[in-house]
Amino acid sequence: MNYNFSFPYIWGAAPDLLSGLWMTILVSLISIAFSVIIGIVCASVRVFRVPVLSQLATAYVHFIRSTPLLVQLFFIFYGLASLGLGLDGFWSGVLALSLWGGAYNTENVRGGLAAVDKGMREAAFSLGLRPIHYLRYVALPIGLRVAIPALLNTAVSVLKNSSYLQAIGVAELTFVAMNRVALDFRTLEMFFSIGLIYLALVLVLSATVRCLETVLHAPFRTA
Amino acid sequence: MQLIVDSLPLLWRGLIVTFQLASLTLLLTAFISLFFGIMSVSRYRILRLISLVFVEVFRDIPIVVNILFVYFGAPLIGLSLDPFSAALVSLTTWGSANGSEIIRGGFNAIPKHQRESALALGLRPWETLFMVLVPQIILPIIPSFTGLFSLLIQATSLATLVGASEFLRTSKIIVERTTMMTGESPAFAVYGFVLCVYFVICFSLNMLTAWMERRIVAARTVHHHAMAESEPMVEPIPAVEKP
Repeated sequence: MNYNFSFPYIWGAAPDLLSGLWMTILVSLISIAFSVIIGIVCASVRVFRVPVLSQLATAYVHFIRSTPLLVQLFFIFYGLASLGLGLDGFWSGVLALSLWGGAYNTENVRGGLAAVDKGMREAAFSLGLRPIHYLRYVALPIGLRVAIPALLNTAVSVLKNSSYLQAIGVAELTFVAMNRVALDFRTLEMFFSIGLIYLALVLVLSATVRCLETVLHAPFRTA
Repeated sequence: MQLIVDSLPLLWRGLIVTFQLASLTLLLTAFISLFFGIMSVSRYRILRLISLVFVEVFRDIPIVVNILFVYFGAPLIGLSLDPFSAALVSLTTWGSANGSEIIRGGFNAIPKHQRESALALGLRPWETLFMVLVPQIILPIIPSFTGLFSLLIQATSLATLVGASEFLRTSKIIVERTTMMTGESPAFAVYGFVLCVYFVICFSLNMLTAWMERRIVAARTVHHHAMAESEPMVEPIPAVEKP
């Protein structure tokens, strides 16, 4: 078995890979932003036990967690198009990833909000704060601090899962690499490079999470 | 609707393949993750390092990239894998990386004195491992592995990308064929149906997982009260990271 691993080939493919990486990062950042918003809204609805909406949020979380992301993606990309609500690949991907991350973030933020002491809530309400003000000035500043490591972990998962978008033809990193593999059969080189890129991105982000964890945990330390 | 009823036999066959793939993967995963899980709590640094690298590489590289690499990369080492085997290999590596984290969590949850006592009683290291420690992790890790099975069933949908004829791919074929024949895409109904089927299966598994976790926690709490000892609470086993 003779396979000449060619580094110059990777060098030549670098511009393509970089444009794919840029697309991956763009899609991920937009989806992460939306998923955090979805998470905060759904978690707040659940924490305040808003009738109907709270049950809907629960059902949404269970549904997303119990179905494969790829099927969700196909449903959004092909299914909505067949109803005439067609979104292009990019926005279908953003929608699918945001909904997916949003479900996990709902749980993350809910965990954070649950960590807010009950006395805070009673104090805020007895001072005459409305629920929305309690949320904005008391619960979220404390709860999000607790939830940030979990939120970032979900963000890392969203970044990894942006590779699903190659299935609907979004020109992100995996798609670009597969394209070149189909053209030049430089399979090892391409997978080696994108594997390394994903690994680097994820490891750097996870290291950041671990650092942040200790920093954020500082006010709660009792010793 | 009529289309879905008509295609039920075909979809059923796809679902069977999905189950075969997920169960085979789970079986292989159980063994491989026990292997790497034991390595991760070994006293030799080199074994711990190997296990760590395995876990990090296969958890951090997206599973989509993993599955495509196995399928398109296998011919380079002279192996031509059919889509099913490629998916099996790739899902197994991913599952084992997650599984060995579960096993490691299981080992770490065992109070230290168990191992120390066993060694003090003169058991050999392998006896300590297989007759004292391993039996104790089995019950606590069962819920985590049910959860992993649910994730594996979901992950089998990725076998579509390399062309294994599992559940999602059969439905994709139905959608494409119908679109070609009638000019109208039934994607909404068919993929909606597929989503519901996955939901019913995986949601039941997730509920089962949650129920078993509650049972185990409850059993432990009673145990702790009965012992009335100042034994520190056992660490909960970390949940599996989602795909």
